[in-house]
Amino acid sequence: MTQKPRSHPPSLKLVGTDGSDAAQAGPIIRDVDWSILMARAQDGDGAAYHRLLQDIVPYLRSLASRRHRDPNDVEDAVQDILLTIHSIRQTYDPGRPFGPWLVTIANRRFIDRLRRQGRVRARETPLTAEHETFSEARANLQESTDRHELGGAIDNLPPRQRQAIRLLKLKEMSLKEAAVASGMSITSLKVNTHRALKSLRKMLVDRSEP
Amino acid sequence: MIKTPDLIASLAANATPVRRLRPPVMRAACWLLLAAAVLTLLAINQGVRPDFAQRLREPAFVICMAASLLTGVLAAIAAFLVSLPDRSRLWLLLPMPALVLWLSNIGYQCLVQWIDIGPNGVSLGEAARCFATLVLTSLPLSLAMLVMLRYAAPLRPTAVTLMGSLAVAAITATALSLFHTVDATVMVLMWNLGTAVVFVSLAGVFGRTMFRWVAPRTFDARD
Repeated sequence: MTQKPRSHPPSLKLVGTDGSDAAQAGPIIRDVDWSILMARAQDGDGAAYHRLLQDIVPYLRSLASRRHRDPNDVEDAVQDILLTIHSIRQTYDPGRPFGPWLVTIANRRFIDRLRRQGRVRARETPLTAEHETFSEARANLQESTDRHELGGAIDNLPPRQRQAIRLLKLKEMSLKEAAVASGMSITSLKVNTHRALKSLRKMLVDRSEP
Repeated sequence: MIKTPDLIASLAANATPVRRLRPPVMRAACWLLLAAAVLTLLAINQGVRPDFAQRLREPAFVICMAASLLTGVLAAIAAFLVSLPDRSRLWLLLPMPALVLWLSNIGYQCLVQWIDIGPNGVSLGEAARCFATLVLTSLPLSLAMLVMLRYAAPLRPTAVTLMGSLAVAAITATALSLFHTVDATVMVLMWNLGTAVVFVSLAGVFGRTMFRWVAPRTFDARD
């Protein structure tokens, strides 16, 4: 039982609003300030409550940053503590120091949060961006190696067949467009494509059955 | 995710006046009054065991009952103290001396009387009535304790439920030895120990869930 001597707030005075006296007076006065604000909050004073919560947030953040690294976690933990304080604010006894009350609540929430995180980490695998890329056809590793191999095989074709297959199959032009682009006739394009496919098939099958 | 300043603003807007809790010892006293009322009602209904006056002359019986009653009282006080965030956890040790006395007394009786009576002393008809007493005593006390300590849910649920159930178990055990002539002390012992073990383990398993029922607001926001 480590308690400071009971500091009854005899009259609920409004403490300085600019914070200048709090900065000079150190943690004990601040604790008394917080006690007074909390006592007023319990009586339903919204402004005092607002100021108290604003005052304790930097302190809670510094406590939280000792336990959590991720800034999002820190902010979550702080909000968790604020909600807990709100839901059990009737348990505070204005005759006792505010600091230990606050720190115990904060520590319990941190421990709960760390335990929950530990459980989640043990049972779940996070779905990261890496996993998501698999659903995109372009990022599919298997297909891209095929594409690489196919590119090599096309490079080995005679020039006219190569051009025909590039325009018609890879760039997916129509026969007319391909004829305009390459200067070959439609018939010659057809013939070259046919031959190219035949030799590609032969090349790729040969390669896959060594 | 809501921003912290927004959260503060909404909490401050919801700052309805709350009634401060009474001092923990006084709340424990209220709970013990309820326990006394339950025991009195049961005594009126069922009547004290016929050989009560005679048994009161046996020091072992008196010590056992006093120890279990003391355990109940101290455990109740400890539960209410520990449920507050700014009280030391060392209060958990408060009922320990009485608990040790109670359990060692039971153990000693077990050793001595088992030899006298043997396993034949177990009777089933009495067991059913014992069970009725057990439920009638423990159910209202557990529920009252649960509601009175609901704000402890986000703080130290395990320690508080353990203490609370120890209090309920000890009071229930006292009730059993008040109301039932269990000739086979083995039965008393079984009931005494069994009640304690059942309550403490039930609390261990269901404590958190029960707290969630009674104090759902605390958890809703996050979980």
